Amino acid sequence: MKISKKIVLLGQFGVGKSSLLRRFLENVFETDYKPTLGVQIKKKMLDLPSGDKLSMIIWDLEGFMAIAKARASYLLGSEGFIYVFDVTRPITYENLEQELDFIALKYNNVALQVIGNKCDLENHDIAKNHLEKKGIMVHSYVSAKTGEGVQEVFTDLAKKLSK
Amino acid sequence: MVKEEDKLQMLRDILLVDDRQVANAVNQRLDVITQTIEERAKLSEKVDPIIQEKLDEFVAEIPVTLGPTITKTLKKEIANSQDAVVEALYPIMGKMIKRYVQNEIKVLSETINKKVNNTFSLISLKRKMRARFTGVKESDLILAEANPPAINEVFLIQKGSGILLGNHSTTETVDKDMISGMLTAIKSFVEDAFTGGNQNLENIEYELYTIHIQNFYNFYIAVVVSGNYTRSFESQLENKLFKLSKKLSPSVSHLSREETDSFLEKFFKK
Repeated sequence: MKISKKIVLLGQFGVGKSSLLRRFLENVFETDYKPTLGVQIKKKMLDLPSGDKLSMIIWDLEGFMAIAKARASYLLGSEGFIYVFDVTRPITYENLEQELDFIALKYNNVALQVIGNKCDLENHDIAKNHLEKKGIMVHSYVSAKTGEGVQEVFTDLAKKLSK
Repeated sequence: MVKEEDKLQMLRDILLVDDRQVANAVNQRLDVITQTIEERAKLSEKVDPIIQEKLDEFVAEIPVTLGPTITKTLKKEIANSQDAVVEALYPIMGKMIKRYVQNEIKVLSETINKKVNNTFSLISLKRKMRARFTGVKESDLILAEANPPAINEVFLIQKGSGILLGNHSTTETVDKDMISGMLTAIKSFVEDAFTGGNQNLENIEYELYTIHIQNFYNFYIAVVVSGNYTRSFESQLENKLFKLSKKLSPSVSHLSREETDSFLEKFFKK
Protein backbone atom coordinates (compact mmCIF):
# COMPACT_ATOMS: atom_id res chain seq x y z
CA MET A 1 0.00 0.00 0.00
CA LYS A 2 1.15 3.54 -0.69
CA ILE A 3 1.00 6.13 2.09
CA SER A 4 1.59 9.83 1.37
CA LYS A 5 2.87 12.30 3.97
CA LYS A 6 3.48 16.02 3.69
CA ILE A 7 6.76 17.21 5.14
CA VAL A 8 7.79 20.86 5.31
CA LEU A 9 11.31 22.25 5.48
CA LEU A 10 11.45 25.33 7.71
CA GLY A 11 14.19 27.80 8.63
CA GLN A 12 15.64 31.21 7.93
CA PHE A 13 17.09 32.43 4.62
CA GLY A 14 20.30 30.75 3.49
CA VAL A 15 20.44 27.99 6.09
CA GLY A 16 20.59 25.38 3.32
CA LYS A 17 17.10 23.87 3.23
CA SER A 18 17.08 23.43 -0.56
CA SER A 19 20.67 22.13 -0.50
CA LEU A 20 19.72 19.51 2.08
CA LEU A 21 16.79 18.46 -0.09
CA ARG A 22 18.93 18.23 -3.23
CA ARG A 23 21.54 16.22 -1.35
CA PHE A 24 18.81 13.86 -0.12
CA LEU A 25 17.05 13.49 -3.49
CA GLU A 26 19.87 13.70 -6.02
CA ASN A 27 23.02 13.40 -3.89
CA VAL A 28 24.41 16.64 -5.33
CA PHE A 29 25.56 19.97 -3.89
CA GLU A 30 25.89 23.33 -5.63
CA THR A 31 27.99 26.13 -4.24
CA ASP A 32 26.05 29.02 -5.77
CA TYR A 33 23.15 30.26 -3.66
CA LYS A 34 19.79 30.51 -5.39
CA PRO A 35 17.11 31.56 -2.92
CA THR A 36 13.80 29.71 -3.07
CA LEU A 37 10.88 31.92 -4.02
CA GLY A 38 7.55 30.81 -2.64
CA VAL A 39 7.75 27.08 -2.46
CA GLN A 40 9.11 24.12 -4.37
CA ILE A 41 7.63 20.68 -3.99
CA LYS A 42 9.57 17.44 -4.35
CA LYS A 43 8.80 13.81 -3.79
CA LYS A 44 10.71 10.78 -2.54
CA MET A 45 9.43 7.22 -2.30
CA LEU A 46 10.75 5.12 0.55
CA ASP A 47 10.18 1.42 1.21
CA LEU A 48 8.94 0.80 4.73
CA PRO A 49 9.85 -2.33 6.74
CA SER A 50 6.14 -3.27 6.69
CA GLY A 51 6.34 -3.60 2.90
CA ASP A 52 4.28 -0.43 2.37
CA LYS A 53 5.61 2.48 0.36
CA LEU A 54 5.91 5.93 1.91
CA SER A 55 5.62 8.81 -0.49
CA MET A 56 7.27 11.84 1.14
CA ILE A 57 5.86 15.00 -0.42
CA ILE A 58 8.43 17.57 0.69
CA TRP A 59 7.54 21.28 0.63
CA ASP A 60 10.66 23.41 0.62
CA LEU A 61 9.53 26.86 1.72
CA GLU A 62 11.32 30.14 1.12
CA GLY A 63 13.27 31.36 4.14
CA PHE A 64 11.63 33.52 6.78
CA MET A 65 12.82 35.47 9.82
CA ALA A 66 10.18 33.89 12.06
CA ILE A 67 7.85 30.96 11.44
CA ALA A 68 4.87 33.14 12.41
CA LYS A 69 5.56 35.07 9.20
CA ALA A 70 5.59 31.99 6.95
CA ARG A 71 2.54 31.48 4.76
CA ALA A 72 0.24 29.51 7.08
CA SER A 73 -1.63 27.83 4.22
CA TYR A 74 1.62 26.17 3.12
CA LEU A 75 1.89 24.51 6.54
CA LEU A 76 -1.65 23.11 6.60
CA GLY A 77 -1.98 19.34 6.66
CA SER A 78 1.73 18.77 7.40
CA GLU A 79 2.74 15.62 9.20
CA GLY A 80 6.39 16.41 9.63
CA PHE A 81 8.54 19.53 10.01
CA ILE A 82 12.29 19.72 9.55
CA TYR A 83 13.51 22.95 11.11
CA VAL A 84 16.95 23.86 9.79
CA PHE A 85 19.44 26.34 11.24
CA ASP A 86 22.96 27.32 10.21
CA VAL A 87 25.63 26.46 12.83
CA THR A 88 27.84 29.28 11.51
CA ARG A 89 25.20 32.03 11.95
CA PRO A 90 23.88 32.47 15.51
CA ILE A 91 21.05 34.64 14.20
CA THR A 92 19.49 31.52 12.69
CA TYR A 93 19.25 29.66 16.05
CA GLU A 94 19.22 32.36 18.75
CA ASN A 95 15.43 32.57 18.66
CA LEU A 96 14.89 28.86 18.20
CA GLU A 97 13.18 28.55 21.59
CA GLN A 98 10.39 30.95 20.55
CA GLU A 99 10.11 29.27 17.17
CA LEU A 100 9.66 25.84 18.73
CA ASP A 101 7.14 27.23 21.21
CA PHE A 102 5.14 28.60 18.29
CA ILE A 103 5.24 25.23 16.54
CA ALA A 104 4.22 23.40 19.73
CA LEU A 105 1.30 25.79 20.15
CA LYS A 106 0.00 25.79 16.58
CA TYR A 107 1.12 22.42 15.22
CA ASN A 108 1.47 20.15 18.21
CA ASN A 109 0.50 17.02 16.23
CA VAL A 110 3.27 17.48 13.71
CA ALA A 111 6.48 15.45 14.11
CA LEU A 112 9.47 17.80 14.35
CA GLN A 113 13.20 17.44 13.80
CA VAL A 114 15.63 20.29 14.45
CA ILE A 115 18.76 20.17 12.30
CA GLY A 116 22.01 22.14 12.39
CA ASN A 117 23.44 22.46 8.88
CA LYS A 118 26.90 23.43 7.54
CA CYS A 119 28.78 21.50 10.22
CA ASP A 120 31.61 21.07 7.69
CA LEU A 121 32.40 24.80 7.88
CA GLU A 122 32.87 25.39 11.57
CA ASN A 123 33.06 23.53 14.81
CA HIS A 124 29.43 23.34 15.85
CA ASP A 125 30.20 23.32 19.60
CA ILE A 126 29.14 26.98 20.01
CA ALA A 127 25.69 26.29 18.60
CA LYS A 128 25.47 22.99 20.45
CA ASN A 129 26.36 24.52 23.84
CA HIS A 130 23.99 27.42 23.29
CA LEU A 131 21.05 25.12 22.47
CA GLU A 132 21.86 22.60 25.20
CA LYS A 133 21.80 25.37 27.79
CA LYS A 134 18.31 26.22 26.59
CA GLY A 135 17.25 22.58 26.72
CA ILE A 136 16.61 22.38 22.98
CA MET A 137 16.91 18.90 21.49
CA VAL A 138 18.71 18.92 18.15
CA HIS A 139 18.20 15.78 16.04
CA SER A 140 21.61 16.04 14.36
CA TYR A 141 24.33 18.30 12.99
CA VAL A 142 24.68 17.68 9.28
CA SER A 143 26.36 18.96 6.13
CA ALA A 144 24.55 19.30 2.82
CA LYS A 145 27.98 19.91 1.28
CA THR A 146 29.61 16.65 2.34
CA GLY A 147 26.35 14.74 2.72
CA GLU A 148 27.14 13.87 6.35
CA GLY A 149 23.98 12.85 8.23
CA VAL A 150 21.56 14.08 5.53
CA GLN A 151 19.93 10.75 4.60
CA GLU A 152 19.31 9.98 8.27
CA VAL A 153 17.41 13.23 8.78
CA PHE A 154 14.76 12.17 6.28
CA THR A 155 14.77 8.42 6.93
CA ASP A 156 14.43 8.94 10.71
CA LEU A 157 11.47 11.22 10.11
CA ALA A 158 9.95 8.65 7.74
CA LYS A 159 10.27 5.99 10.47
CA LYS A 160 8.60 8.33 12.97
CA LEU A 161 5.74 9.04 10.55
CA SER A 162 5.15 5.41 9.64
CA LYS A 163 4.62 4.33 13.28
CA MET B 1 84.85 -24.29 -86.58
CA VAL B 2 82.41 -22.28 -84.65
CA LYS B 3 83.68 -18.93 -83.77
CA GLU B 4 84.15 -17.93 -80.16
CA GLU B 5 81.61 -15.20 -80.60
CA ASP B 6 78.96 -17.60 -81.96
CA LYS B 7 79.63 -20.05 -79.18
CA LEU B 8 79.06 -17.37 -76.67
CA GLN B 9 75.80 -16.41 -78.41
CA MET B 10 74.62 -20.02 -78.47
CA LEU B 11 75.41 -20.38 -74.81
CA ARG B 12 73.58 -17.10 -74.07
CA ASP B 13 70.53 -18.33 -76.07
CA ILE B 14 70.48 -21.65 -74.17
CA LEU B 15 70.81 -19.99 -70.77
CA LEU B 16 68.64 -16.87 -71.19
CA VAL B 17 65.91 -17.73 -73.71
CA ASP B 18 63.24 -18.62 -71.07
CA ASP B 19 64.04 -15.61 -68.93
CA ARG B 20 63.70 -13.33 -71.91
CA GLN B 21 60.28 -14.75 -72.72
CA VAL B 22 59.21 -14.27 -69.12
CA ALA B 23 60.67 -10.77 -69.06
CA ASN B 24 58.82 -9.95 -72.26
CA ALA B 25 55.55 -11.26 -70.86
CA VAL B 26 56.07 -9.30 -67.63
CA ASN B 27 56.88 -6.16 -69.60
CA GLN B 28 53.75 -6.56 -71.68
CA ARG B 29 51.66 -7.06 -68.54
CA LEU B 30 53.29 -4.06 -66.90
CA ASP B 31 52.46 -1.99 -69.98
CA VAL B 32 48.79 -3.01 -69.70
CA ILE B 33 48.71 -2.19 -65.96
CA THR B 34 50.48 1.14 -66.49
CA GLN B 35 48.02 2.01 -69.23
CA THR B 36 45.07 1.04 -66.99
CA ILE B 37 46.33 3.13 -64.08
CA GLU B 38 47.24 6.12 -66.20
CA GLU B 39 44.04 6.15 -68.19
CA ARG B 40 41.20 7.34 -65.93
CA ALA B 41 38.46 5.67 -67.91
CA LYS B 42 40.10 2.28 -67.80
CA LEU B 43 40.96 2.63 -64.09
CA SER B 44 37.44 3.72 -63.37
CA GLU B 45 36.07 0.69 -65.17
CA LYS B 46 38.03 -1.57 -62.80
CA VAL B 47 37.75 0.32 -59.51
CA ASP B 48 34.21 1.73 -59.63
CA PRO B 49 32.37 -1.54 -58.98
CA ILE B 50 34.57 -2.18 -55.91
CA ILE B 51 34.05 1.34 -54.54
CA GLN B 52 30.33 1.13 -55.23
CA GLU B 53 30.10 -2.18 -53.39
CA LYS B 54 32.02 -0.80 -50.39
CA LEU B 55 29.93 2.35 -50.42
CA ASP B 56 26.71 0.33 -50.39
CA GLU B 57 28.01 -1.69 -47.44
CA PHE B 58 28.98 1.53 -45.62
CA VAL B 59 25.59 3.14 -46.20
CA ALA B 60 23.82 0.01 -45.03
CA GLU B 61 25.90 -0.05 -41.86
CA ILE B 62 25.57 3.66 -40.95
CA PRO B 63 22.46 3.29 -38.78
CA VAL B 64 24.11 0.49 -36.80
CA THR B 65 27.65 1.77 -36.49
CA LEU B 66 27.35 5.56 -36.59
CA GLY B 67 23.67 6.03 -35.66
CA PRO B 68 24.07 6.07 -31.86
CA THR B 69 27.14 8.35 -32.09
CA ILE B 70 25.35 10.80 -34.40
CA THR B 71 22.22 10.84 -32.21
CA LYS B 72 24.32 11.36 -29.08
CA THR B 73 26.32 14.18 -30.70
CA LEU B 74 23.15 15.85 -32.00
CA LYS B 75 21.45 15.65 -28.61
CA LYS B 76 24.54 17.10 -26.95
CA GLU B 77 24.82 19.91 -29.50
CA ILE B 78 21.11 20.78 -29.17
CA ALA B 79 21.34 20.72 -25.38
CA ASN B 80 24.43 22.95 -25.42
CA SER B 81 23.02 25.49 -27.81
CA GLN B 82 19.28 25.49 -27.19
CA ASP B 83 18.91 29.20 -27.91
CA ALA B 84 20.60 28.82 -31.30
CA VAL B 85 18.41 25.83 -32.17
CA VAL B 86 15.26 27.71 -31.17
CA GLU B 87 16.45 30.72 -33.13
CA ALA B 88 16.95 28.57 -36.23
CA LEU B 89 13.69 26.64 -35.86
CA TYR B 90 11.51 29.59 -34.86
CA PRO B 91 10.71 30.88 -38.36
CA ILE B 92 9.98 27.37 -39.64
CA MET B 93 7.86 26.45 -36.61
CA GLY B 94 6.12 29.82 -36.76
CA LYS B 95 5.08 29.23 -40.38
CA MET B 96 3.91 25.70 -39.57
CA ILE B 97 1.88 26.84 -36.57
CA LYS B 98 0.39 29.71 -38.58
CA ARG B 99 -0.66 27.32 -41.33
CA TYR B 100 -2.08 24.90 -38.80
CA VAL B 101 -4.07 27.63 -37.02
CA GLN B 102 -5.35 29.00 -40.35
CA ASN B 103 -6.45 25.53 -41.35
CA GLU B 104 -8.16 24.88 -38.03
CA ILE B 105 -9.99 28.23 -38.20
CA LYS B 106 -11.10 27.40 -41.73
CA VAL B 107 -12.47 24.04 -40.58
CA LEU B 108 -14.18 25.68 -37.59
CA SER B 109 -15.65 28.39 -39.78
CA GLU B 110 -17.00 25.80 -42.24
CA THR B 111 -18.55 23.79 -39.40
CA ILE B 112 -20.19 26.87 -37.89
CA ASN B 113 -21.46 28.05 -41.27
CA LYS B 114 -22.97 24.65 -41.87
CA LYS B 115 -24.70 24.75 -38.52
CA VAL B 116 -25.94 28.34 -38.98
CA ASN B 117 -27.17 27.66 -42.52
CA ASN B 118 -29.09 24.74 -41.18
CA THR B 119 -31.28 27.15 -39.21
CA PHE B 120 -34.53 25.32 -39.56
CA SER B 121 -33.29 21.82 -38.96
CA LEU B 122 -34.54 19.91 -35.93
CA ILE B 123 -31.08 20.04 -34.29
CA SER B 124 -30.90 23.79 -34.75
CA LEU B 125 -34.34 24.30 -33.25
CA LYS B 126 -33.36 22.09 -30.32
CA ARG B 127 -30.23 24.19 -29.83
CA LYS B 128 -32.22 27.39 -29.87
CA MET B 129 -34.58 25.99 -27.25
CA ARG B 130 -31.64 24.84 -25.13
CA ALA B 131 -30.07 28.28 -25.38
CA ARG B 132 -33.31 29.92 -24.31
CA PHE B 133 -33.89 27.62 -21.33
CA THR B 134 -30.31 27.31 -20.06
CA GLY B 135 -29.36 30.95 -20.62
CA VAL B 136 -26.25 29.89 -22.56
CA LYS B 137 -25.67 31.82 -25.80
CA GLU B 138 -26.42 29.89 -28.99
CA SER B 139 -23.00 30.85 -30.34
CA ASP B 140 -21.40 29.18 -27.28
CA LEU B 141 -23.42 26.05 -27.92
CA ILE B 142 -22.35 26.00 -31.58
CA LEU B 143 -18.70 26.45 -30.57
CA ALA B 144 -19.01 23.67 -28.02
CA GLU B 145 -20.46 21.38 -30.69
CA ALA B 146 -17.58 22.22 -33.04
CA ASN B 147 -14.86 21.47 -30.48
CA PRO B 148 -16.51 19.48 -27.72
CA PRO B 149 -14.96 19.62 -24.25
CA ALA B 150 -13.39 16.45 -22.89
CA ILE B 151 -12.17 15.45 -19.44
CA ASN B 152 -8.47 14.59 -19.55
CA GLU B 153 -7.55 14.31 -15.90
CA VAL B 154 -9.26 14.25 -12.52
CA PHE B 155 -7.37 14.91 -9.29
CA LEU B 156 -8.98 14.35 -5.91
CA ILE B 157 -6.81 16.34 -3.52
CA GLN B 158 -6.86 16.66 0.25
CA LYS B 159 -7.43 20.27 1.26
CA GLY B 160 -4.53 21.99 2.98
CA SER B 161 -1.93 19.23 2.68
CA GLY B 162 -2.28 18.87 -1.08
CA ILE B 163 -1.91 15.09 -0.75
CA LEU B 164 -3.36 13.31 -3.78
CA LEU B 165 -6.19 11.04 -2.64
CA GLY B 166 -7.05 9.70 -6.07
CA ASN B 167 -6.58 10.29 -9.76
CA HIS B 168 -8.17 9.37 -13.05
CA SER B 169 -6.26 10.14 -16.19
CA THR B 170 -6.66 9.53 -19.90
CA THR B 171 -3.16 10.75 -20.69
CA GLU B 172 0.30 10.23 -19.21
CA THR B 173 1.57 13.28 -17.33
CA VAL B 174 4.44 14.03 -15.01
CA ASP B 175 4.31 12.96 -11.38
CA LYS B 176 0.71 13.35 -10.20
CA ASP B 177 1.65 13.77 -6.52
CA MET B 178 3.78 16.78 -7.48
CA ILE B 179 0.99 18.21 -9.65
CA SER B 180 -1.48 18.03 -6.78
CA GLY B 181 1.10 19.60 -4.44
CA MET B 182 1.80 22.46 -6.83
CA LEU B 183 -1.90 23.00 -7.58
CA THR B 184 -2.52 23.28 -3.84
CA ALA B 185 0.38 25.71 -3.43
CA ILE B 186 -0.93 27.89 -6.29
CA LYS B 187 -4.46 27.72 -4.91
CA SER B 188 -3.24 28.63 -1.39
CA PHE B 189 -1.13 31.47 -2.73
CA VAL B 190 -3.97 32.99 -4.79
CA GLU B 191 -6.48 32.59 -2.00
CA ASP B 192 -4.07 34.23 0.50
CA ALA B 193 -2.80 36.93 -1.83
CA PHE B 194 -6.12 38.47 -2.86
CA THR B 195 -7.87 39.14 0.39
CA GLY B 196 -11.46 39.32 -0.78
CA GLY B 197 -12.93 37.37 2.08
CA ASN B 198 -13.17 33.61 2.20
CA GLN B 199 -12.95 32.90 -1.54
CA ASN B 200 -11.68 29.97 -3.53
CA LEU B 201 -9.77 29.63 -6.76
CA GLU B 202 -12.16 27.94 -9.19
CA ASN B 203 -10.49 28.03 -12.55
CA ILE B 204 -7.03 27.98 -14.15
CA GLU B 205 -6.65 28.39 -17.90
CA TYR B 206 -3.57 27.53 -19.90
CA GLU B 207 -3.65 27.66 -23.70
CA LEU B 208 -5.84 24.76 -24.85
CA TYR B 209 -6.75 23.47 -21.39
CA THR B 210 -8.85 24.61 -18.47
CA ILE B 211 -8.50 23.33 -14.93
CA HIS B 212 -11.89 23.34 -13.25
CA ILE B 213 -11.55 23.40 -9.45
CA GLN B 214 -14.46 22.49 -7.21
CA ASN B 215 -14.11 22.74 -3.44
CA PHE B 216 -15.66 20.44 -0.88
CA TYR B 217 -15.21 20.23 2.88
CA ASN B 218 -12.18 17.94 3.24
CA PHE B 219 -10.98 17.81 -0.32
CA TYR B 220 -11.17 19.57 -3.63
CA ILE B 221 -11.41 18.17 -7.14
CA ALA B 222 -9.37 19.52 -10.04
CA VAL B 223 -10.49 18.48 -13.51
CA VAL B 224 -8.34 19.17 -16.56
CA VAL B 225 -10.60 19.86 -19.54
CA SER B 226 -9.56 20.17 -23.19
CA GLY B 227 -11.71 21.63 -25.97
CA ASN B 228 -14.33 24.31 -25.62
CA TYR B 229 -15.05 24.87 -21.94
CA THR B 230 -18.50 26.43 -22.10
CA ARG B 231 -20.84 27.51 -19.32
CA SER B 232 -23.19 24.62 -20.07
CA PHE B 233 -20.33 22.11 -19.81
CA GLU B 234 -19.18 23.78 -16.58
CA SER B 235 -22.66 23.37 -15.18
CA GLN B 236 -22.83 19.70 -16.22
CA LEU B 237 -19.40 19.08 -14.73
CA GLU B 238 -20.35 20.77 -11.45
CA ASN B 239 -23.39 18.52 -11.15
CA LYS B 240 -21.30 15.45 -11.91
CA LEU B 241 -18.74 16.41 -9.25
CA PHE B 242 -21.49 17.03 -6.68
CA LYS B 243 -22.71 13.50 -7.36
CA LEU B 244 -19.17 12.18 -7.03
CA SER B 245 -18.67 14.00 -3.75
CA LYS B 246 -21.93 12.63 -2.37
CA LYS B 247 -20.85 9.06 -3.18
CA LEU B 248 -17.24 9.46 -2.11
CA SER B 249 -17.33 11.74 0.96
CA PRO B 250 -18.41 9.15 3.54
CA SER B 251 -15.65 6.72 2.57
CA VAL B 252 -12.82 8.89 1.26
CA SER B 253 -10.91 9.01 4.56
CA HIS B 254 -10.53 5.23 4.80
CA LEU B 255 -10.17 4.33 1.13
CA SER B 256 -6.67 3.52 -0.09
CA ARG B 257 -5.21 5.47 -3.01
CA GLU B 258 -5.69 2.50 -5.33
CA GLU B 259 -9.33 2.09 -4.29
CA THR B 260 -10.05 5.77 -4.88
CA ASP B 261 -8.34 5.62 -8.30
CA SER B 262 -10.49 2.68 -9.29
CA PHE B 263 -13.65 4.43 -8.01
CA LEU B 264 -12.84 7.52 -10.08
CA GLU B 265 -12.11 5.47 -13.17
CA LYS B 266 -15.49 3.71 -12.96
CA PHE B 267 -17.30 6.96 -12.23
CA PHE B 268 -15.84 8.85 -15.18
CA LYS B 269 -16.15 5.94 -17.62
CA LYS B 270 -19.94 6.00 -17.26
